[in-house]
Amino acid sequence: MDNGILIKKMINEIQKSCIEKLNIMEVCGTHTQAISRSGIRSLLPPNLVLLSGPGCPVCVTDESLIDAAVEILRNDIILATFGDMVRIRGSLESISDQLHKRKNIFVLYSPLDCLELARDNPDKQVVFFAAGFETTAPGIALTVKLAYEENLHNLSFLTSLKLMPPVLHKILREKQKKIHGLICPGHVAAVMGAGYFRFVAGEYGINAAVCGFEPLDIASGLLFLTKKISSGYESAFANLYESCVSEEGNETAREIMMQVFDIADGNWRGIGEIKKSELFLNENYCSFDALKKFNIRPDKFVSDQRCNCSDVILGNIMPYECRLFGKACTPQKPAGPCMISSEGSCSAYYRYWEAGL
Amino acid sequence: MEELIRLSHGDGGKYTSILINELFYKYFGNEILLKGSDSAVFSISKRKLAFSTDSFVVKPLFFPGGDIGKLAVCGTINDLSVSGAKPLYLSAGFIIEEGFSISDLSKIVRSMGQICKETGAMIITGDTKVVEKGDMDGLCINTAGIGVVENSYMPKKIKKGDRIIITGSIAEHGTAIALERYKIKASGTFASDCGPVYNIIRSLAPFYKGIKLMRDPTRGGVATALNEISASAGKGIRIYENTLPIRREVNAVCSILGLDPLYLASEGRVILVADPGMSQEILECIRSCKDGENSSIIGSFFDNGNSLVYMETEAGGRRLLNTLEFPMLPRIC
Repeated sequence: MDNGILIKKMINEIQKSCIEKLNIMEVCGTHTQAISRSGIRSLLPPNLVLLSGPGCPVCVTDESLIDAAVEILRNDIILATFGDMVRIRGSLESISDQLHKRKNIFVLYSPLDCLELARDNPDKQVVFFAAGFETTAPGIALTVKLAYEENLHNLSFLTSLKLMPPVLHKILREKQKKIHGLICPGHVAAVMGAGYFRFVAGEYGINAAVCGFEPLDIASGLLFLTKKISSGYESAFANLYESCVSEEGNETAREIMMQVFDIADGNWRGIGEIKKSELFLNENYCSFDALKKFNIRPDKFVSDQRCNCSDVILGNIMPYECRLFGKACTPQKPAGPCMISSEGSCSAYYRYWEAGL
Repeated sequence: MEELIRLSHGDGGKYTSILINELFYKYFGNEILLKGSDSAVFSISKRKLAFSTDSFVVKPLFFPGGDIGKLAVCGTINDLSVSGAKPLYLSAGFIIEEGFSISDLSKIVRSMGQICKETGAMIITGDTKVVEKGDMDGLCINTAGIGVVENSYMPKKIKKGDRIIITGSIAEHGTAIALERYKIKASGTFASDCGPVYNIIRSLAPFYKGIKLMRDPTRGGVATALNEISASAGKGIRIYENTLPIRREVNAVCSILGLDPLYLASEGRVILVADPGMSQEILECIRSCKDGENSSIIGSFFDNGNSLVYMETEAGGRRLLNTLEFPMLPRIC
């Protein structure tokens, strides 16, 4: 059967089983974007509200780290980073504000490409500014390991690598809105295993499903959750992305990650410090830490008062409930990080907004 | 000839002449250009003229399916073609960074000459400047062109129900460039669709009365071009996801990189607005042309007083397609 027809059938079922008002959170930015892009959001019954969670790496990178990147750029170095990181503002400037003055900023897709940059520019320091979650961390860990083995002394890493469970614990503990179900990120689970998210159901009594990113994957996740919720279940859990996700995950990827990183307390933009929520280069690899190499101590966390991004990613408000949304904050002139990345929930809402159609 | 471009290649002296004689004349050579006068002099019949210019600063300079030279000639030729004109004469201005490889420059100039040969357009005047190393990155090309409007083609008022046709698969150029730029090794065929669209448009001559507008979806892609058309027509556009010609490989690469094919450039495609009564015949005519096999009717106009573009997705949902506000960048995870 054609995917479109299958999805329509599922949406019909969802509409039938969605009697009360339900809040379902999709944790990951890629899901947020796919939900808007596929038009699924416009098909859901009005009493099913999808809340966007904290899973966009750009949105949760602390201002102080952007400031550090801008500070490092004052040296005669090469800075490489992922796409959307160049547009996010620190307390004053973004990396893209530096673009017109400098030619030493590279946007990479694979972290491994920064090895080549370092090899090709032996007389220059190359800094890779890496943000992400458990999804990108193994690739970055591998890059650090290879740089170490190759003795690439001119390469270092500025990292903002966050872990999912601590922020989910925070949301589920402090939740201001009742969350009835959670769509867990399939790619994090591919690395960490489906079991990584079982605590959502086990500890908090919230139905959860690990889902892929195609419209059909998302529709089946929503169908699973709404059915379970409407039949009174409180702790159902399913891995609906078995083609990519096993219960244990990818052991090799996890091992490399743990060889290179330690877990410590991390600063989340707009949210604040969360215990044991971030990966930092461990003792063996600390010579690759750009902050140490350039002797920069990021300022202690400063809260961004300009927008409500943190309330959006904690599921407290919908993007359009922010007073700046679509007015003082658009993708062209983003006031907050959620409007910057294509995965940011505000940007996804803005871009694929149903415009009263 | 030496290997690298020097400042002296742009000073109007001996080395400039060498470059002109050995490179530009070799590949662009035609009667008007070879006169070597300060300006090209030619006559044109008393018909409506089309005139267009475009500058090209693409990175990388070479990509699967083309290079900056091919792009520069096709860009201007296609702008003339979608105005209903036959491209006749072009100018080419080169701004080159000192130290640029002459063999790379030859490749670029050769592919410009090639497209001229294929389409019958001629480069009849040109200019070369060389800037100091570090003042720019490699090479920029500007082309301008003149064409004569054929078969009295003119844009017409767009009405509710008019159809939107695309002449081939979309986002091929943008995807090929992204693969090069981010060094992604993907299996499958990826090449820019960069090429002249004049032949397809010329074969549509019998249908010109049913064609209301032609536009090439280059920078900003199909979604941006449709937004421009919608705004100028003062009508809404609805397109259908399942009618969009996007190759599977292109879709796959775009989802890996987090790029949206609707916003990636095509460099050899045309969007046509057609009278609903003639749209099927027009589609069949395009499909019978070279490079037109994947042509498709992708949507139509509606009138609710708003200019907006939306897509009915495969899932049956609706998605608003805004104008691209800033260049897309690959996502993180």
